[in-house]
Amino acid sequence: MKNIVRILSLVLAAMMLCGMVGTVASAEGVVELTIPHYKAGENVGAVFFLPQVERFNKLYEGKYHITIEELTGDLYAEKMKQLGQQNALPALVEGGETEWIQNVVIPNGLYTDLSGFLADHPDVAALLDETALAYNTTEDNKVFSISLPVIRPMGMYYNGALLDLGDKTAADLSWDEFAEKLGDNKIAFMTGENAWTTALIFSSLIAVEEGGADLLRETYSTKIYDYNQPAILNAVTKLQALLQNYAASNTVGAVYADAANAFESNNAAVIANGSWMVSDFLPDGSVNWSNGFDGSTVRGDVLPGNVALANTAGYGWWVPANVSDAEKEAAMAFIAFMNTPEELETYMLTEGGVCQKLTVSEEYTAKAQENALMYEYVNAVNADTIICPAVCDCMPSSIANTEFGNLLPLLIDGTYTPEQFCQQLTTLAEETRLD
Amino acid sequence: MKRYSRLERRHFPAIYLFLLPTLILFALFYVIPIITVFFTSFTKWNGFNAPQFSFDTIFYNYKKLFSMSSFGKSLQNLGLWSLIAATLHVGIGALVAFILYQKPKGWKFVRGVYMIPNVISAAAWAMIYKFIFNNDFGLLNNAIRLMNPSFNVNWFYQSPAAFWAVTFTWLFYAVIVCMVVLADLMAIPKELHEAAEIDGASSVQRTFLIDLPLCRNSLGTSVIISVTSRIAMYEAIALTTRGGPGNDTANLALILVKAINDYNYGLANATAMLMFIFGIVVMLVINRVFRMNESVY
Repeated sequence: MKNIVRILSLVLAAMMLCGMVGTVASAEGVVELTIPHYKAGENVGAVFFLPQVERFNKLYEGKYHITIEELTGDLYAEKMKQLGQQNALPALVEGGETEWIQNVVIPNGLYTDLSGFLADHPDVAALLDETALAYNTTEDNKVFSISLPVIRPMGMYYNGALLDLGDKTAADLSWDEFAEKLGDNKIAFMTGENAWTTALIFSSLIAVEEGGADLLRETYSTKIYDYNQPAILNAVTKLQALLQNYAASNTVGAVYADAANAFESNNAAVIANGSWMVSDFLPDGSVNWSNGFDGSTVRGDVLPGNVALANTAGYGWWVPANVSDAEKEAAMAFIAFMNTPEELETYMLTEGGVCQKLTVSEEYTAKAQENALMYEYVNAVNADTIICPAVCDCMPSSIANTEFGNLLPLLIDGTYTPEQFCQQLTTLAEETRLD
Repeated sequence: MKRYSRLERRHFPAIYLFLLPTLILFALFYVIPIITVFFTSFTKWNGFNAPQFSFDTIFYNYKKLFSMSSFGKSLQNLGLWSLIAATLHVGIGALVAFILYQKPKGWKFVRGVYMIPNVISAAAWAMIYKFIFNNDFGLLNNAIRLMNPSFNVNWFYQSPAAFWAVTFTWLFYAVIVCMVVLADLMAIPKELHEAAEIDGASSVQRTFLIDLPLCRNSLGTSVIISVTSRIAMYEAIALTTRGGPGNDTANLALILVKAINDYNYGLANATAMLMFIFGIVVMLVINRVFRMNESVY
């Protein structure tokens, strides 16, 4: 018995010692932040984000240290909501569901006002987009979040080996003209998950309708509850024709991986997606290629009708109110670090995008041209390009995440006419209202 | 009322002390949440701010729920799934139990194999079935195409196939039913069978006139388990059809989760109350139908 007591005492002493070491480390002044984020693991965003965190940790060695805790992309927003409910949000949060931020985070003061941060960092403030800043400024003139000043308009990729646009680009073609050029080629649509690639094409179809682009720009915050509007109805009519005539064979039930697979196996010649997909077409991504697909033949472009999807009025990085002052300081240091010209250039080189107020270095320009596909994709946007948010950002949460995709099979097989599809979306959207 | 002796009464503090942890846990994780759900189902609540109660809108969430396009379909699906669960699902489980009870050669091996699906999560099963029912490369369609090359059905995304595809994800896996019924069969006194044999009863007569009536309680329990599982069924739908196409495979659990996603916790709790009430009603009705409060021996 005495031996057992002795062993237990020793174990206890060892544990206490370990605890003291931890305390010493904290006392040395290193502020540790553990940030749950989806840009980790296999997520395409991890390619840039994790090395960026490492660069930050190296720069602030002995002062701040950030550890990224991996979360899957579709769990991130939900996890933040849960942590918010427990008043246990991490020191840095990127965006979040609009409804949650507008109805919960801002009214309940769950965030730290970043106006002081902008005053202390005029270099960061100078780069910010006015629309983004206005969107992030509350009625009492507090700044909720800092969006990266890089806009990444989303367009599409097409397989140059299968589809020849001649001397034209998608910017020069209407959807009808583009469909003619498609011939027997298919488009990688989805109906599973949030029907992302389909939603992007649907957005471009709305954007080219009269008043469509403005509708998308104006309803980002308020959401669309009436889908019987002419711009949407006309777009649904065209979407149905595209889905019935040009959809890849695996479209019904296809999740993102299926759509990407259809494109990367020569079963579809077109896929709508953001600039982050470029890495899939570089030699490092060849592990997913099949059926003779060659990433070097992929071309980047805007969507037909000269539409690119981007939302400058969105929420960026924010610092919750529940964390300590030391953690807030570390979090703001990271936000400032992300907005340094060097980091922004690295970001644009890796993930694409344009920072309109940043004077880029010559080195950046030279490097940007090395990644020909990214360069082509980013520079497909011209002065006449219609830039507006994607429709899924303008739909109530459950409509964007579930119902839109659930109704698409019925639009494809003709069970629903475009009118019925729009009416059903309207009914479902109305049901989500919390009067 | 029973009168306790002094000695018995002396043990009361110890008995209550031992019961206390269970009572506390039950209150914390069941009673309090159920009471909260009940009261907040009459409020407008986004889940974060304080619930807003008003007598003018006391039934707001229930009215909204009853008027939802997916609600009627959910009830219809629940009714049909419950019927299938109570008959086919329980029937399959009971049949396997009765076969195993005869102890044919290799019955222990079969019993072990039949248990395997139970250790695989519903989520994993849903994913497996998604592949089995895939139109392009799924096992089922490819097998059918050997006989009918033009066969083309998107099981999870086509009406009315989706309902049956979801049903097949759980229909044949009646492991719990099988276990409960088999345990009850094993407990039947051998003397009853011996007496029946002496009286010249055939094996079919013994099964239908002795075993089946004596399994009344376990069959009732199985029906309750199977039907209440259908009320709470979520993963099998959320990971396959997500309630679609349209509302074809909608159910109350999906409405509940959708309401939470839309920050309508009042509506979600009204849905939860309805599910709770359905569960209680099922228990009471099955209890009465199978006379589960009466002794079988």
